[in-house]
Amino acid sequence: MKLVQIAGYLGSGKTSLIIALTKGLAGKGKRVAVLVNDVGEVSVDGSVMEEYGLTVKDIGGGCICCQVAGSMLKTLELLANGPNPDIIIVEPTGMAVPNAIRETVAMLDVKKVAIKIGPTIVLFDLTRSGKLLSYDTLKRLITTQLKDADIIALSKAEMVSDETVRESAEAVCAINPKAEIMRLSTRTGEGLANLVSSVIETTVRV
Amino acid sequence: MKRMIKFVEERNPLHEEIQGYGFCCSLEREKAFEAAELRKFAADLMVSVSAACFSYGAKDVGHIKAFIEHDDGFLRASTLGDPADVTVEGRDGGPASKFTVVLNAVIYGLSKMKVRSAAVEAFESLVSAYGLVSECEGDGEGHPPRSEQGRNEHD
Repeated sequence: MKLVQIAGYLGSGKTSLIIALTKGLAGKGKRVAVLVNDVGEVSVDGSVMEEYGLTVKDIGGGCICCQVAGSMLKTLELLANGPNPDIIIVEPTGMAVPNAIRETVAMLDVKKVAIKIGPTIVLFDLTRSGKLLSYDTLKRLITTQLKDADIIALSKAEMVSDETVRESAEAVCAINPKAEIMRLSTRTGEGLANLVSSVIETTVRV
Repeated sequence: MKRMIKFVEERNPLHEEIQGYGFCCSLEREKAFEAAELRKFAADLMVSVSAACFSYGAKDVGHIKAFIEHDDGFLRASTLGDPADVTVEGRDGGPASKFTVVLNAVIYGLSKMKVRSAAVEAFESLVSAYGLVSECEGDGEGHPPRSEQGRNEHD
């Protein structure tokens, strides 16, 4: 069982990517479950994904990177001891700090749950890049999310100019030079095959 | 030996100034909604909640999204605050006189109570404009939440 995070700020396209990515993974014979965490008291994303036929576990009541970290561990144990999918995709809230989630997962008892850690994919919304980084509080959060990424996917690439993509790529590369940076459009399918391969082939930690 | 796991489980300081509020309501009207009207309702809901949040002083919309479901279909609506850029997609199905709405608003720069007031005021106003009758599930404090708690609240 491999855990893959699809993180990124609010509205960056995480749910759309997960719906598309899950189809791609199923096409490669992988059994996928999705663990969803919404900010509000009720989950919209989980309901949407279920309509698209995905196996979804909802975690509410706060952010899994801090307030409800324990609930995430219990859910992962239940998944491992039940359906035991090949891949668990975690969609944290748009406010989540990916490394905090990774640190929490590292607390799992390896005798109970055999889990590999796959890549942390962080989405960066190209349509709002300048605006979001202009607010101090948000800049700190988004910068932290980007620093925690193994792969940074520049999302909604079909909606902006090549120049915006290039400038954004330079900006995020300055924040996290070690991450793989790629263009992504879930509408046109650009970058999806690459992400499917990365999710299957990349293991950050066993 | 059993590993002891203890979580502090406090809100991350990086989440400062971002607050979310959500609710679920069943809606009903004698005259059924055709697909186009339901899509318009979904889009209007996004625009109305977004505008209400800005009128309360929001710095930005993090994400406002809704899931609308009826016996024969579903819609997913979302906005990042720009009224010209509202997304509504899903499976329309046939006409619907009853449907449920799950709404979630995550806003930058408002207290939770103000997000709640903005969302509820916008929702109630739209429900009235469309001639709908609503029944909402509780959020632990009674529902629909009391919208008058928001405007004069000090953060």
